[in-house]
Amino acid sequence: MLKLKLEDLLTDNELKSLNQNRITTLLDFLQEDTEKLSILTQLTLPQILEIRNNIFKKYSAEPINGTDLYITSITKRKSIQTGIKELDSILDRGIPSGIIEICGLAGSGKSQLCMQIAINCVKDSDNTILYIDTKGDFSALRIQKILDLNGYSHKDMAIIMLKIKIVRVWTIEDLIELIQKIKSGLIVVENLALVIIDSLPCLVFQHFGDDNKMDGESTSVNKGSNYIEKANRCLGKYWENIPAILLILKRSLESIDDNSLSIRISATNCNNPHVVKTCMLKVSALGVR
Amino acid sequence: MTTNFKIYNAADLWQIETSSPAIPTFSQKLDKTLGDDGIPLGSLTEVLGLPGTGKTQLCLQLCASVQVPKVLGGLQSESLYIDTNTNFTLCRFKEILFASLAKCQRLLDTSIAISEEDALKKFHYIKTIGLEKFCSFLNQLPNYLTEYPNVKLIVIDSIAFPFKEGSISLKQRTGLLFRLMADLHKLAVDKQIAVVLTNEMSNRLGLSSGALVGALGDAWAHRCNIRLLLCADKNESCAVLAKSNTAPEAAVKFKITREGIRDAD
Repeated sequence: MLKLKLEDLLTDNELKSLNQNRITTLLDFLQEDTEKLSILTQLTLPQILEIRNNIFKKYSAEPINGTDLYITSITKRKSIQTGIKELDSILDRGIPSGIIEICGLAGSGKSQLCMQIAINCVKDSDNTILYIDTKGDFSALRIQKILDLNGYSHKDMAIIMLKIKIVRVWTIEDLIELIQKIKSGLIVVENLALVIIDSLPCLVFQHFGDDNKMDGESTSVNKGSNYIEKANRCLGKYWENIPAILLILKRSLESIDDNSLSIRISATNCNNPHVVKTCMLKVSALGVR
Repeated sequence: MTTNFKIYNAADLWQIETSSPAIPTFSQKLDKTLGDDGIPLGSLTEVLGLPGTGKTQLCLQLCASVQVPKVLGGLQSESLYIDTNTNFTLCRFKEILFASLAKCQRLLDTSIAISEEDALKKFHYIKTIGLEKFCSFLNQLPNYLTEYPNVKLIVIDSIAFPFKEGSISLKQRTGLLFRLMADLHKLAVDKQIAVVLTNEMSNRLGLSSGALVGALGDAWAHRCNIRLLLCADKNESCAVLAKSNTAPEAAVKFKITREGIRDAD
Protein backbone atom coordinates (compact mmCIF):
# COMPACT_ATOMS: atom_id res chain seq x y z
CA MET A 1 0.00 0.00 0.00
CA LEU A 2 1.35 3.42 -0.92
CA LYS A 3 2.26 5.57 2.06
CA LEU A 4 1.44 9.24 2.31
CA LYS A 5 4.55 11.25 1.55
CA LEU A 6 5.80 14.82 1.65
CA GLU A 7 5.49 15.06 -2.11
CA ASP A 8 1.75 14.78 -1.77
CA LEU A 9 1.73 18.50 -0.79
CA LEU A 10 1.68 17.81 2.94
CA THR A 11 4.06 19.27 5.45
CA ASP A 12 5.86 17.32 8.16
CA ASN A 13 3.51 18.47 10.90
CA GLU A 14 0.44 17.66 8.91
CA LEU A 15 1.76 14.20 8.11
CA LYS A 16 2.54 13.61 11.75
CA SER A 17 -0.91 14.50 12.96
CA LEU A 18 -2.44 12.34 10.23
CA ASN A 19 -0.25 9.42 11.17
CA GLN A 20 -1.21 9.81 14.82
CA ASN A 21 -4.79 9.36 13.74
CA ARG A 22 -3.90 6.21 11.80
CA ILE A 23 -4.10 7.84 8.40
CA THR A 24 -0.91 6.50 6.92
CA THR A 25 -1.64 5.37 3.38
CA LEU A 26 -3.00 7.16 0.35
CA LEU A 27 -6.08 4.99 0.53
CA ASP A 28 -6.73 6.00 4.17
CA PHE A 29 -6.44 9.63 3.15
CA LEU A 30 -8.81 9.36 0.22
CA GLN A 31 -11.41 7.39 2.16
CA GLU A 32 -11.43 9.73 5.16
CA ASP A 33 -14.09 12.37 5.54
CA THR A 34 -12.73 15.69 4.19
CA GLU A 35 -14.02 17.71 7.10
CA LYS A 36 -12.26 15.49 9.59
CA LEU A 37 -9.07 15.83 7.56
CA SER A 38 -9.47 19.57 7.55
CA ILE A 39 -9.72 19.58 11.36
CA LEU A 40 -6.78 17.26 11.81
CA THR A 41 -4.41 19.10 9.49
CA GLN A 42 -5.81 22.58 10.06
CA LEU A 43 -6.03 23.09 6.33
CA THR A 44 -9.06 24.58 4.60
CA LEU A 45 -11.51 22.42 2.72
CA PRO A 46 -10.43 23.66 -0.75
CA GLN A 47 -6.83 22.85 0.15
CA ILE A 48 -7.77 19.32 1.12
CA LEU A 49 -9.72 18.93 -2.11
CA GLU A 50 -6.76 20.20 -4.08
CA ILE A 51 -4.50 17.64 -2.43
CA ARG A 52 -6.99 14.91 -3.25
CA ASN A 53 -7.19 15.97 -6.86
CA ASN A 54 -3.45 16.07 -7.03
CA ILE A 55 -3.19 12.53 -5.74
CA PHE A 56 -5.69 11.33 -8.32
CA LYS A 57 -3.79 13.05 -11.06
CA LYS A 58 -0.45 11.72 -9.97
CA TYR A 59 -1.39 8.10 -9.48
CA SER A 60 -4.05 7.40 -12.08
CA ALA A 61 -3.20 5.34 -15.14
CA GLU A 62 -2.51 7.47 -18.16
CA PRO A 63 -4.57 7.27 -21.30
CA ILE A 64 -2.53 6.84 -24.48
CA ASN A 65 -3.90 7.86 -27.82
CA GLY A 66 -3.92 5.56 -30.81
CA THR A 67 -1.24 7.35 -32.81
CA ASP A 68 1.26 7.16 -29.97
CA LEU A 69 0.53 3.49 -29.53
CA TYR A 70 1.09 2.94 -33.22
CA ILE A 71 4.37 4.83 -33.20
CA THR A 72 5.74 2.91 -30.25
CA SER A 73 4.66 -0.33 -31.81
CA ILE A 74 6.57 0.35 -35.02
CA THR A 75 9.68 1.84 -33.45
CA LYS A 76 10.10 -0.70 -30.66
CA ARG A 77 12.18 -3.79 -31.23
CA LYS A 78 9.68 -6.32 -32.38
CA SER A 79 11.37 -9.63 -32.71
CA ILE A 80 14.63 -11.48 -32.32
CA GLN A 81 15.74 -13.63 -35.15
CA THR A 82 16.54 -17.19 -34.23
CA GLY A 83 19.09 -17.38 -37.03
CA ILE A 84 17.58 -20.65 -38.22
CA LYS A 85 16.04 -19.83 -41.59
CA GLU A 86 13.13 -22.25 -41.58
CA LEU A 87 12.23 -21.46 -38.01
CA ASP A 88 12.31 -17.71 -38.61
CA SER A 89 9.99 -18.10 -41.56
CA ILE A 90 7.34 -20.03 -39.65
CA LEU A 91 7.68 -17.61 -36.74
CA ASP A 92 7.11 -14.66 -39.05
CA ARG A 93 10.59 -13.15 -38.80
CA GLY A 94 11.61 -14.32 -35.34
CA ILE A 95 10.71 -14.54 -31.69
CA PRO A 96 8.29 -11.72 -30.83
CA SER A 97 8.62 -9.88 -27.54
CA GLY A 98 6.51 -11.87 -25.13
CA ILE A 99 6.50 -15.48 -24.13
CA ILE A 100 6.91 -18.38 -26.47
CA GLU A 101 6.75 -21.98 -25.39
CA ILE A 102 8.86 -24.85 -26.66
CA CYS A 103 7.20 -28.12 -25.88
CA GLY A 104 8.17 -31.71 -26.57
CA LEU A 105 8.96 -35.09 -25.10
CA ALA A 106 12.28 -35.88 -23.42
CA GLY A 107 15.11 -36.00 -25.92
CA SER A 108 13.20 -34.18 -28.65
CA GLY A 109 15.77 -31.43 -28.87
CA LYS A 110 14.31 -28.64 -26.73
CA SER A 111 17.52 -27.81 -24.89
CA GLN A 112 19.51 -28.16 -28.11
CA LEU A 113 17.23 -25.67 -29.82
CA CYS A 114 17.50 -23.30 -26.85
CA MET A 115 21.29 -23.42 -26.89
CA GLN A 116 21.35 -22.84 -30.64
CA ILE A 117 19.02 -19.85 -30.32
CA ALA A 118 21.29 -18.53 -27.57
CA ILE A 119 24.30 -18.70 -29.87
CA ASN A 120 22.54 -17.22 -32.90
CA CYS A 121 21.03 -14.43 -30.89
CA VAL A 122 24.35 -13.08 -29.59
CA LYS A 123 26.78 -13.88 -32.38
CA ASP A 124 26.36 -10.86 -34.66
CA SER A 125 25.09 -8.29 -32.21
CA ASP A 126 25.53 -6.68 -28.80
CA ASN A 127 22.70 -8.74 -27.35
CA THR A 128 23.19 -10.76 -24.24
CA ILE A 129 20.91 -13.56 -23.32
CA LEU A 130 20.11 -15.01 -19.92
CA TYR A 131 19.75 -18.77 -19.73
CA ILE A 132 17.90 -19.81 -16.57
CA ASP A 133 18.86 -23.42 -16.03
CA THR A 134 16.69 -25.44 -13.65
CA LYS A 135 17.99 -28.96 -14.33
CA GLY A 136 21.57 -28.60 -15.42
CA ASP A 137 20.91 -29.12 -19.11
CA PHE A 138 22.97 -26.17 -20.25
CA SER A 139 26.33 -27.38 -21.49
CA ALA A 140 29.04 -24.84 -22.22
CA LEU A 141 31.07 -27.67 -23.69
CA ARG A 142 28.36 -28.31 -26.26
CA ILE A 143 28.24 -24.59 -27.13
CA GLN A 144 31.99 -24.53 -27.57
CA LYS A 145 31.92 -27.64 -29.76
CA ILE A 146 29.22 -26.19 -32.02
CA LEU A 147 31.20 -22.98 -32.43
CA ASP A 148 34.41 -24.87 -33.02
CA LEU A 149 32.92 -27.07 -35.75
CA ASN A 150 31.45 -24.01 -37.41
CA GLY A 151 34.95 -22.62 -37.79
CA TYR A 152 35.03 -19.83 -35.24
CA SER A 153 38.40 -18.70 -33.96
CA HIS A 154 39.17 -18.96 -30.25
CA LYS A 155 38.78 -15.23 -29.88
CA ASP A 156 35.36 -15.16 -31.53
CA MET A 157 34.25 -18.11 -29.45
CA ALA A 158 35.22 -16.30 -26.28
CA ILE A 159 33.36 -13.16 -27.36
CA ILE A 160 30.21 -15.15 -28.07
CA MET A 161 30.43 -17.20 -24.90
CA LEU A 162 30.89 -14.13 -22.74
CA LYS A 163 27.55 -12.83 -23.96
CA ILE A 164 25.65 -15.93 -22.93
CA LYS A 165 24.84 -15.62 -19.24
CA ILE A 166 23.69 -18.58 -17.22
CA VAL A 167 22.02 -18.65 -13.85
CA ARG A 168 21.03 -21.81 -12.03
CA VAL A 169 17.75 -21.84 -10.19
CA TRP A 170 16.43 -24.78 -8.16
CA THR A 171 13.05 -23.70 -6.82
CA ILE A 172 10.10 -21.69 -8.10
CA GLU A 173 10.54 -19.19 -5.25
CA ASP A 174 14.06 -18.49 -6.44
CA LEU A 175 12.85 -18.04 -10.00
CA ILE A 176 10.27 -15.48 -8.93
CA GLU A 177 12.82 -13.66 -6.80
CA LEU A 178 15.30 -13.62 -9.67
CA ILE A 179 12.78 -12.19 -12.11
CA GLN A 180 11.69 -9.55 -9.63
CA LYS A 181 15.29 -8.55 -9.03
CA ILE A 182 15.89 -8.19 -12.76
CA LYS A 183 12.74 -6.15 -13.11
CA SER A 184 13.59 -3.83 -10.25
CA GLY A 185 17.17 -3.40 -11.43
CA LEU A 186 18.85 -5.11 -8.47
CA ILE A 187 20.41 -7.52 -10.92
CA VAL A 188 21.56 -5.88 -14.11
CA VAL A 189 22.23 -7.81 -17.28
CA GLU A 190 23.31 -5.40 -19.98
CA ASN A 191 21.67 -5.54 -23.39
CA LEU A 192 19.43 -8.34 -22.28
CA ALA A 193 17.49 -9.44 -25.34
CA LEU A 194 16.15 -12.85 -24.48
CA VAL A 195 15.50 -14.94 -21.40
CA ILE A 196 15.42 -18.70 -21.78
CA ILE A 197 13.92 -20.78 -18.97
CA ASP A 198 14.88 -24.43 -19.34
CA SER A 199 12.60 -25.76 -17.94
CA LEU A 200 9.58 -24.43 -16.08
CA PRO A 201 7.72 -27.70 -15.34
CA CYS A 202 10.78 -28.99 -13.53
CA LEU A 203 10.16 -26.31 -10.89
CA VAL A 204 6.39 -26.44 -10.97
CA PHE A 205 6.28 -30.23 -10.49
CA GLN A 206 8.04 -29.80 -7.17
CA HIS A 207 4.87 -28.22 -5.84
CA PHE A 208 2.00 -29.57 -7.81
CA GLY A 209 3.21 -32.95 -8.98
CA ASP A 210 1.92 -34.24 -12.24
CA ASP A 211 -0.49 -36.86 -13.47
CA ASN A 212 2.06 -38.06 -15.98
CA LYS A 213 0.91 -36.17 -19.03
CA MET A 214 3.26 -34.45 -21.88
CA ASP A 215 5.06 -31.46 -20.44
CA GLY A 216 5.85 -28.17 -22.08
CA GLU A 217 9.38 -26.19 -22.04
CA SER A 218 9.19 -22.39 -21.96
CA THR A 219 11.95 -19.10 -24.54
CA SER A 220 10.92 -17.48 -22.20
CA VAL A 221 10.66 -21.15 -22.84
CA ASN A 222 8.65 -23.78 -21.48
CA LYS A 223 8.13 -28.36 -21.25
CA GLY A 224 5.62 -31.22 -22.72
CA SER A 225 4.72 -35.80 -20.89
CA ASN A 226 2.92 -38.52 -22.62
CA TYR A 227 -0.09 -40.59 -21.68
CA ILE A 228 -1.97 -43.21 -23.62
CA GLU A 229 -0.20 -42.20 -26.81
CA LYS A 230 -1.68 -38.75 -26.59
CA ALA A 231 0.75 -36.07 -25.60
CA ASN A 232 -0.57 -33.28 -23.40
CA ARG A 233 1.12 -30.04 -22.58
CA CYS A 234 2.12 -29.60 -18.99
CA LEU A 235 1.34 -26.80 -16.58
CA GLY A 236 -2.41 -26.97 -16.87
CA LYS A 237 -5.27 -25.03 -18.41
CA TYR A 238 -4.36 -21.57 -17.18
CA TRP A 239 -0.93 -21.74 -18.76
CA GLU A 240 -2.35 -22.80 -22.14
CA ASN A 241 -3.16 -19.26 -23.18
CA ILE A 242 -0.15 -17.47 -21.74
CA PRO A 243 2.50 -18.05 -24.44
CA ALA A 244 1.98 -16.05 -27.60
CA ILE A 245 3.44 -18.79 -29.71
CA LEU A 246 3.63 -22.49 -29.05
CA LEU A 247 6.33 -24.59 -30.71
CA ILE A 248 5.85 -28.34 -30.53
CA LEU A 249 8.93 -30.44 -31.19
CA LYS A 250 8.61 -33.98 -32.37
CA ARG A 251 11.33 -36.38 -33.37
CA SER A 252 10.87 -37.59 -36.84
CA LEU A 253 11.90 -41.09 -37.79
CA GLU A 254 12.45 -40.34 -41.47
CA SER A 255 15.82 -39.61 -42.99
CA ILE A 256 18.02 -40.31 -40.01
CA ASP A 257 21.58 -40.62 -41.11
CA ASP A 258 24.29 -41.66 -38.76
CA ASN A 259 25.08 -38.48 -36.94
CA SER A 260 22.02 -36.33 -37.05
CA LEU A 261 18.48 -36.32 -35.89
CA SER A 262 15.61 -34.61 -37.61
CA ILE A 263 12.87 -32.92 -35.68
CA ARG A 264 9.57 -31.57 -36.88
CA ILE A 265 8.55 -28.25 -35.39
CA SER A 266 4.99 -27.01 -35.56
CA ALA A 267 4.23 -23.45 -34.56
CA THR A 268 0.83 -22.32 -33.38
CA ASN A 269 0.04 -18.70 -32.77
CA CYS A 270 -2.30 -18.56 -29.77
CA ASN A 271 -4.22 -15.62 -31.25
CA ASN A 272 -5.03 -17.69 -34.27
CA PRO A 273 -4.94 -21.35 -33.27
CA HIS A 274 -6.23 -22.64 -36.59
CA VAL A 275 -3.09 -21.82 -38.52
CA VAL A 276 -0.32 -24.31 -37.81
CA LYS A 277 2.94 -23.94 -39.68
CA THR A 278 5.54 -26.67 -39.66
CA CYS A 279 9.15 -27.07 -40.62
CA MET A 280 11.89 -29.64 -40.30
CA LEU A 281 15.21 -29.02 -38.55
CA LYS A 282 18.30 -31.11 -38.25
CA VAL A 283 20.22 -31.60 -34.99
CA SER A 284 23.80 -32.65 -35.50
CA ALA A 285 27.28 -32.03 -34.17
CA LEU A 286 27.15 -28.70 -36.00
CA GLY A 287 24.15 -27.59 -33.98
CA VAL A 288 20.54 -27.13 -34.98
CA ARG A 289 19.84 -25.91 -38.49
CA MET B 1 15.34 -15.08 2.84
CA THR B 2 17.14 -13.69 -0.14
CA THR B 3 19.26 -15.74 -2.44
CA ASN B 4 22.40 -14.52 -4.06
CA PHE B 5 22.17 -15.43 -7.68
CA LYS B 6 25.48 -16.18 -9.27
CA ILE B 7 25.35 -15.29 -12.92
CA TYR B 8 27.92 -17.17 -14.93
CA ASN B 9 28.82 -16.65 -18.52
CA ALA B 10 29.33 -19.56 -20.85
CA ALA B 11 33.11 -19.16 -20.80
CA ASP B 12 33.24 -19.57 -17.00
CA LEU B 13 31.13 -22.68 -17.19
CA TRP B 14 33.23 -24.08 -19.98
CA GLN B 15 36.25 -23.80 -17.74
CA ILE B 16 34.48 -25.54 -14.89
CA GLU B 17 33.17 -28.27 -17.18
CA THR B 18 36.53 -28.99 -18.73
CA SER B 19 38.69 -28.63 -15.64
CA SER B 20 37.75 -31.86 -13.94
CA PRO B 21 38.06 -35.34 -15.39
CA ALA B 22 35.05 -37.56 -15.94
CA ILE B 23 34.62 -41.03 -14.48
CA PRO B 24 35.75 -43.67 -16.96
CA THR B 25 33.68 -46.80 -17.50
CA PHE B 26 36.78 -48.84 -18.48
CA SER B 27 35.30 -49.31 -21.92
CA GLN B 28 36.81 -46.69 -24.20
CA LYS B 29 34.05 -46.94 -26.77
CA LEU B 30 31.41 -46.42 -24.12
CA ASP B 31 33.34 -43.44 -22.75
CA LYS B 32 33.48 -41.90 -26.22
CA THR B 33 29.74 -42.36 -26.69
CA LEU B 34 28.96 -40.71 -23.38
CA GLY B 35 31.01 -37.65 -24.18
CA ASP B 36 34.73 -37.45 -24.15
CA ASP B 37 35.82 -39.55 -21.28
CA GLY B 38 32.92 -41.06 -19.42
CA ILE B 39 30.35 -39.94 -16.88
CA PRO B 40 30.68 -36.17 -16.37
CA LEU B 41 30.72 -34.61 -12.91
CA GLY B 42 27.93 -32.27 -11.88
CA SER B 43 25.15 -33.91 -13.79
CA LEU B 44 22.51 -36.59 -13.34
CA THR B 45 22.96 -39.75 -15.38
CA GLU B 46 20.20 -42.33 -15.60
CA VAL B 47 21.00 -45.94 -16.46
CA LEU B 48 17.97 -47.83 -17.77
CA GLY B 49 17.49 -51.45 -18.62
CA LEU B 50 15.65 -54.70 -18.09
CA PRO B 51 16.74 -56.98 -15.26
CA GLY B 52 20.10 -58.60 -15.95
CA THR B 53 21.35 -56.08 -18.50
CA GLY B 54 24.19 -54.89 -16.32
CA LYS B 55 22.92 -51.75 -14.62
CA THR B 56 24.33 -52.71 -11.25
CA GLN B 57 27.54 -54.02 -12.85
CA LEU B 58 28.09 -50.67 -14.53
CA CYS B 59 27.51 -48.87 -11.23
CA LEU B 60 29.98 -51.10 -9.42
CA GLN B 61 32.53 -50.47 -12.15
CA LEU B 62 32.06 -46.71 -11.76
CA CYS B 63 32.52 -46.98 -8.00
CA ALA B 64 35.84 -48.66 -8.72
CA SER B 65 36.79 -46.26 -11.53
CA VAL B 66 36.44 -43.24 -9.30
CA GLN B 67 39.50 -44.51 -7.38
CA VAL B 68 41.82 -44.37 -10.40
CA PRO B 69 44.93 -42.47 -9.26
CA LYS B 70 45.56 -38.88 -10.36
CA VAL B 71 48.71 -39.79 -12.27
CA LEU B 72 46.54 -41.74 -14.67
CA GLY B 73 44.14 -38.83 -15.08
CA GLY B 74 41.64 -40.28 -12.62
CA LEU B 75 39.85 -38.65 -9.75
CA GLN B 76 41.45 -40.59 -6.91
CA SER B 77 38.42 -40.09 -4.75
CA GLU B 78 35.61 -41.91 -3.03
CA SER B 79 32.15 -43.17 -3.91
CA LEU B 80 28.83 -43.47 -2.15
CA TYR B 81 26.49 -46.32 -3.03
CA ILE B 82 22.87 -45.93 -2.01
CA ASP B 83 21.30 -49.37 -2.24
CA THR B 84 17.50 -49.36 -2.29
CA ASN B 85 16.77 -52.84 -3.62
CA THR B 86 19.55 -54.94 -2.03
CA ASN B 87 21.16 -55.64 -5.39
CA PHE B 88 24.62 -55.08 -4.03
CA THR B 89 26.99 -57.92 -3.34
CA LEU B 90 30.31 -57.18 -1.74
CA CYS B 91 32.28 -60.03 -3.26
CA ARG B 92 31.34 -58.97 -6.78
CA PHE B 93 32.38 -55.42 -6.01
CA LYS B 94 35.70 -56.60 -4.58
CA GLU B 95 36.31 -58.56 -7.76
CA ILE B 96 35.75 -55.52 -9.95
CA LEU B 97 37.57 -53.12 -7.67
CA PHE B 98 40.74 -55.18 -7.36
CA ALA B 99 40.77 -56.03 -11.06
CA SER B 100 40.50 -52.33 -11.89
CA LEU B 101 43.23 -51.37 -9.46
CA ALA B 102 45.46 -54.13 -10.76
CA LYS B 103 44.97 -52.75 -14.26
CA CYS B 104 46.03 -49.30 -13.05
CA GLN B 105 49.13 -50.77 -11.45
CA ARG B 106 50.06 -52.52 -14.67
CA LEU B 107 49.68 -49.24 -16.54
CA LEU B 108 51.78 -47.42 -13.99
CA ASP B 109 54.31 -50.18 -14.19
CA THR B 110 55.11 -49.90 -10.53
CA SER B 111 54.69 -52.19 -7.69
CA ILE B 112 53.26 -49.67 -5.27
CA ALA B 113 50.91 -51.90 -3.47
CA ILE B 114 47.47 -50.35 -3.16
CA SER B 115 46.22 -51.96 -0.03
CA GLU B 116 42.90 -53.71 -0.32
CA GLU B 117 41.77 -52.33 2.96
CA ASP B 118 42.49 -48.74 1.92
CA ALA B 119 40.64 -49.24 -1.35
CA LEU B 120 37.59 -50.57 0.42
CA LYS B 121 37.67 -47.63 2.82
CA LYS B 122 37.05 -45.36 -0.14
CA PHE B 123 33.73 -47.02 -0.78
CA HIS B 124 30.73 -46.00 1.28
CA TYR B 125 27.62 -48.10 1.33
CA ILE B 126 24.17 -47.21 2.55
CA LYS B 127 21.21 -49.54 2.49
CA THR B 128 17.88 -47.73 2.55
CA ILE B 129 14.81 -49.91 2.59
CA GLY B 130 11.55 -48.08 2.18
CA LEU B 131 10.62 -44.61 1.07
CA GLU B 132 10.96 -42.98 4.48
CA LYS B 133 14.51 -44.14 5.02
CA PHE B 134 15.45 -43.18 1.48
CA CYS B 135 14.06 -39.66 1.78
CA SER B 136 15.51 -39.05 5.21
CA PHE B 137 18.92 -40.13 4.03
CA LEU B 138 18.79 -37.83 1.02
CA ASN B 139 17.89 -34.99 3.37
CA GLN B 140 20.92 -35.90 5.48
CA LEU B 141 23.15 -36.01 2.44
CA PRO B 142 24.61 -32.47 2.70
CA ASN B 143 25.86 -33.26 6.23
CA TYR B 144 27.17 -36.59 5.11
CA LEU B 145 29.13 -34.99 2.30
CA THR B 146 30.69 -32.45 4.65
CA GLU B 147 31.91 -35.38 6.67
CA TYR B 148 33.26 -37.16 3.59
CA PRO B 149 34.29 -34.31 1.26
CA ASN B 150 36.16 -36.61 -1.06
CA VAL B 151 33.06 -38.35 -2.40
CA LYS B 152 32.87 -37.68 -6.14
CA LEU B 153 30.30 -40.25 -7.18
CA ILE B 154 26.86 -40.99 -5.80
CA VAL B 155 25.07 -44.07 -7.09
CA ILE B 156 21.40 -44.68 -6.38
CA ASP B 157 20.47 -48.24 -7.31
CA SER B 158 17.58 -47.99 -8.04
CA ILE B 159 15.65 -44.73 -8.00
CA ALA B 160 12.33 -46.41 -8.82
CA PHE B 161 12.39 -49.06 -6.11
CA PRO B 162 11.48 -46.93 -3.06
CA PHE B 163 8.40 -45.71 -4.91
CA LYS B 164 7.15 -49.19 -5.68
CA GLU B 165 5.29 -49.72 -2.44
CA GLY B 166 2.67 -47.36 -3.80
CA SER B 167 2.10 -45.56 -0.54
CA ILE B 168 1.82 -42.19 -2.26
CA SER B 169 -0.22 -41.06 -5.25
CA LEU B 170 1.22 -40.48 -8.69
CA LYS B 171 0.96 -36.75 -8.27
CA GLN B 172 2.74 -36.76 -4.92
CA ARG B 173 5.37 -39.09 -6.37
CA THR B 174 6.30 -36.71 -9.18
CA GLY B 175 6.37 -33.78 -6.78
CA LEU B 176 8.55 -35.62 -4.27
CA LEU B 177 10.90 -36.91 -6.96
CA PHE B 178 11.42 -33.48 -8.46
CA ARG B 179 12.05 -31.91 -5.05
CA LEU B 180 14.56 -34.61 -4.11
CA MET B 181 16.31 -34.32 -7.45
CA ALA B 182 16.48 -30.52 -7.29
CA ASP B 183 18.29 -30.77 -3.95
CA LEU B 184 20.53 -33.59 -5.14
CA HIS B 185 21.37 -31.83 -8.38
CA LYS B 186 22.20 -28.61 -6.56
CA LEU B 187 24.63 -30.51 -4.33
CA ALA B 188 26.09 -32.27 -7.36
CA VAL B 189 26.71 -29.00 -9.17
CA ASP B 190 28.06 -27.14 -6.13
CA LYS B 191 30.48 -29.88 -5.15
CA GLN B 192 31.12 -31.27 -8.63
CA ILE B 193 29.87 -34.77 -7.92
CA ALA B 194 28.61 -37.22 -10.51
CA VAL B 195 25.23 -38.76 -9.75
CA VAL B 196 24.25 -42.05 -11.38
CA LEU B 197 20.72 -43.40 -10.97
CA THR B 198 19.47 -46.73 -12.17
CA ASN B 199 15.91 -47.15 -13.29
CA GLU B 200 13.81 -50.14 -14.24
CA MET B 201 11.67 -50.52 -17.32
CA SER B 202 7.92 -50.70 -17.31
CA ASN B 203 5.20 -51.03 -19.90
CA ARG B 204 3.41 -47.98 -21.18
CA LEU B 205 -0.27 -48.18 -20.41
CA GLY B 206 -1.96 -47.77 -23.71
CA LEU B 207 -4.66 -48.98 -26.01
CA SER B 208 -2.54 -50.52 -28.68
CA SER B 209 1.05 -50.56 -27.62
CA GLY B 210 2.69 -52.04 -24.61
CA ALA B 211 5.95 -50.37 -25.44
CA LEU B 212 8.77 -50.72 -22.97
CA VAL B 213 9.68 -47.42 -21.39
CA GLY B 214 11.61 -46.29 -18.34
CA ALA B 215 9.67 -46.46 -15.09
CA LEU B 216 8.47 -43.33 -13.27
CA GLY B 217 6.74 -41.80 -16.27
CA ASP B 218 7.44 -39.33 -19.02
CA ALA B 219 7.76 -36.31 -16.79
CA TRP B 220 10.69 -38.04 -15.11
CA ALA B 221 12.29 -38.64 -18.50
CA HIS B 222 12.98 -34.91 -18.71
CA ARG B 223 14.78 -34.73 -15.41
CA CYS B 224 18.10 -36.49 -16.04
CA ASN B 225 20.74 -34.91 -18.25
CA ILE B 226 21.95 -38.19 -19.68
CA ARG B 227 19.95 -41.39 -20.20
CA LEU B 228 21.74 -44.58 -21.06
CA LEU B 229 19.70 -47.61 -22.08
CA LEU B 230 21.31 -51.02 -21.62
CA CYS B 231 20.36 -54.23 -23.33
CA ALA B 232 21.97 -57.65 -23.24
CA ASP B 233 22.28 -60.44 -25.73
CA LYS B 234 24.06 -63.65 -24.72
CA ASN B 235 27.68 -62.63 -24.24
CA GLU B 236 27.49 -59.08 -25.44
CA SER B 237 25.86 -56.03 -23.99
CA CYS B 238 24.79 -52.94 -25.81
CA ALA B 239 24.35 -49.40 -24.55
CA VAL B 240 22.19 -46.82 -26.30
CA LEU B 241 22.58 -43.18 -25.42
CA ALA B 242 18.94 -42.09 -25.44
CA LYS B 243 19.38 -38.54 -24.27
CA SER B 244 22.32 -36.28 -23.69
CA ASN B 245 23.00 -32.57 -23.57
CA THR B 246 26.45 -32.89 -25.11
CA ALA B 247 26.85 -36.00 -27.21
CA PRO B 248 24.82 -37.23 -30.19
CA GLU B 249 22.70 -40.32 -29.77
CA ALA B 250 24.54 -43.52 -30.53
CA ALA B 251 24.71 -47.18 -29.72
CA VAL B 252 27.80 -49.04 -28.60
CA LYS B 253 28.71 -52.59 -27.66
CA PHE B 254 30.57 -53.54 -24.52
CA LYS B 255 31.31 -56.61 -22.51
CA ILE B 256 30.73 -57.51 -18.91
CA THR B 257 33.64 -59.67 -17.86
CA ARG B 258 34.70 -61.06 -14.55
CA GLU B 259 36.92 -57.99 -14.13
CA GLY B 260 34.13 -55.52 -14.84
CA ILE B 261 33.09 -53.49 -17.88
CA ARG B 262 35.40 -53.76 -20.89
CA ASP B 263 35.37 -53.04 -24.61
CA ALA B 264 33.76 -55.67 -26.77
CA ASP B 265 36.24 -57.37 -29.06
